[in-house]
Amino acid sequence: MKRSNKIKTIAGVILLAVIAFAFMAAPKKITVKGSDTLVILAQKWAEVYMKSHPEVAIQVTGGGSGTGISALINGATDICNASRPMKQSEIDKLKERYGSLGVEIRCAKDGITVYLNESNPVKELSIKQLSGIYSGKIKNWKEVGGPDEAIKLYGRENSSGTYVFFQENVVKGDYAASCQTLPGTAAVVNAVKNDKYGIGYGGAAYSKGVKQCLVKKDDKTPAYTPSAETIKNGTYPISRYLYMYLRNRPTGEMKNYIDWILGPEGQKLVVDQGYFPVR
Amino acid sequence: MNMKKISLSILSLGLLVFLAPAQSAKAQSATDTLAPQVTTLRDKISGVEERLATAEGSLDKLTKIKLSGYIQAQWQHFEAANVFPSNYVTIRRARFKLQYEPAKGVALVLQPDFQPSNFVIKEAYARINEPWLKTFSLWVGKFNRLNYEVEYSSSDLEALERSRIITTLYPGEYAIGAKLEVTPPSIPLKFQLALFNGNDGQVIPDATGVNQNAADNKDFDNYKDLMGRLTYAFKLGRWGGLTLGAHGYYGRVRATTDTLLKSDYTKDKAVGIGSALSRNWAGVEAQLFIDVLGGLVLKGEYIMGVNAFPGFNSTVTSSPVFTQSINATKDTVTQTYTVSKTTSIAPNIRRNFSGFYVYLVKNIGKRNQFTIRYDKFDPNSKLGGGDLGIKAYKAGSTKTTTDKNIIGAAGNVLVTKNVNTTVVNNSLTSGTADLAYSQISLCWSYYFDDNIKISLNYDIPMNEKVGTAGKVMSGSYAAPGGIASKYDYSNLIKQNILTLRLQAKF
Repeated sequence: MKRSNKIKTIAGVILLAVIAFAFMAAPKKITVKGSDTLVILAQKWAEVYMKSHPEVAIQVTGGGSGTGISALINGATDICNASRPMKQSEIDKLKERYGSLGVEIRCAKDGITVYLNESNPVKELSIKQLSGIYSGKIKNWKEVGGPDEAIKLYGRENSSGTYVFFQENVVKGDYAASCQTLPGTAAVVNAVKNDKYGIGYGGAAYSKGVKQCLVKKDDKTPAYTPSAETIKNGTYPISRYLYMYLRNRPTGEMKNYIDWILGPEGQKLVVDQGYFPVR
Repeated sequence: MNMKKISLSILSLGLLVFLAPAQSAKAQSATDTLAPQVTTLRDKISGVEERLATAEGSLDKLTKIKLSGYIQAQWQHFEAANVFPSNYVTIRRARFKLQYEPAKGVALVLQPDFQPSNFVIKEAYARINEPWLKTFSLWVGKFNRLNYEVEYSSSDLEALERSRIITTLYPGEYAIGAKLEVTPPSIPLKFQLALFNGNDGQVIPDATGVNQNAADNKDFDNYKDLMGRLTYAFKLGRWGGLTLGAHGYYGRVRATTDTLLKSDYTKDKAVGIGSALSRNWAGVEAQLFIDVLGGLVLKGEYIMGVNAFPGFNSTVTSSPVFTQSINATKDTVTQTYTVSKTTSIAPNIRRNFSGFYVYLVKNIGKRNQFTIRYDKFDPNSKLGGGDLGIKAYKAGSTKTTTDKNIIGAAGNVLVTKNVNTTVVNNSLTSGTADLAYSQISLCWSYYFDDNIKISLNYDIPMNEKVGTAGKVMSGSYAAPGGIASKYDYSNLIKQNILTLRLQAKF
């Protein structure tokens, strides 16, 4: 066989193999991993969807946005939930491994809520004051109109998207070394609930048993609480999108599931769970 | 009815009055019993908290250290007649990367490559990220040269090895120097500017074939090379993305002899020994990522320019040879010490070159990846196949001069020292160094899991066919039967390589 014919044969076999693999049926098991902020909502979505689609198995776990993105890159999850956009370095890794930039789906909105203990007389804080508190420049509640007591800081671990978002948009620098990091928003809420002089941050959906602090952009603007209206009109200053990331454009059952999440039924669950819809 | 209610109320009140002190006493007793236990527990929790704080402190130090690496073991089968044994198992790479971050934005990186008979520091640099704009970073040490395929990790290469043009221009990938990198966080742009010693990994042979540039850790000359690269990533909506970029190299290397040849082997000009020979080239690159039933990548790069190759000017001095002659007529004895000095000179040459590579990569699901690459490198784009072996620089003839010196005389004994100096001017004929190669690489990779990758790769290199008049031949090799043989490059030489590689990454 001539060399050129040999090359053509090998190329032909590879092409056929590529096409055959491409049209193989997608599995009906979907794994979801990532943001702890989104985990309650993602579990609810999965639970309701599986009821109406018993042939589909959806497994949801948290761990933080960074953990979810790593899992997406190394192939350990089909969907990554994230409370922050993917970084360029993470997209680059996805490009190198899968030849894809990934697919970003905005699935809900969230107002990062500042939690205070119910007994704390402080009602509102500005972004500047929050920055001062979390960077360690403001150490006592009396500096922001509260009692003469030391402020106890609670926050998330650095694998959390909420940690990153709050750092980039509120703290705008390094967190104070005294900030106690906790594994999950529920743990932050619980810590503030049990600490009279504690302060924490996290998703609005978690703020049960604690007081939601009103937040103002600066000293001249009014303070707002996160609500559907203030988040939609942008007056609540710390709102963000919540994302789902996929390696490739969804097909088959994955596409049906994503379409359902973005549809009326999925978005209704967004509201029911204390988040805010994207549509 | 009312009376009944009143009676019940009085009774209840009576019970309360009677029972309340008892309940209160009980509660007080319980509190008194629990109080020491609560105190003990509180102390224990404080102790645990203290220990946890200490442990967290130690753990924080450990999080500053990042370890990664990979091992590539492979079996290869060579179809080329001059390779013996024709198949074997090797460890291609065994890398271990250690990154230590002593402070935020500061990283120290060390990456050795361990091989059974070799140990090389591939990477060793310090990087400082500017903390305010989070845009600039400064690198000092040994790190990747600025090129797409060079910077692409060897563990991620889709066709197992880099293209011929890249391995020729940037041998060993890493080079010693300093780099400024600009990556604005909100713009998908990357600009890199680096200053290198410039000759890392270059082989500059002398007359006996010994590399004159053997000191890997320092420069071959005083000239420093400048390199820059700019890329910009565009998003193509929901379909994917396109990254465009360009890089340029402005380098110089010292001339080792006084003659410089052009690509066609004619004399360009006389140059001073030690003067600068240009090594300048530029390249454009593009990477297209499309999401069609999984990731599909089409990427490539084209580079062209001029590369300089210093010649050699090396002298070998022989040990003195003693001879004695007796003149019976004159009754004299002449003792002669003869020293021979042979200087071999070969001209410097600069060649215009060009080359490119194109990849088509298709990912199927999470585990399978198919790659086809075509690459071509013409190290002398001014000469065609028909010119090779014919175009040549004819040096002047070999000259020998003798310098006679009387170094002593006593009575009728005369002692002389003769120095024979021979200058061998080497001609230079076009040949295998100018031979263009193209190559097709076909690769299938299976990602067993996050750590293990199995790849099957087939490389089909194709040499440029030279004219029969040129008679470009390779060096001798032992053909089957022990008969010395040579490649005749007027034919297409079979040099295909099959590689089965297992990669373990952590």
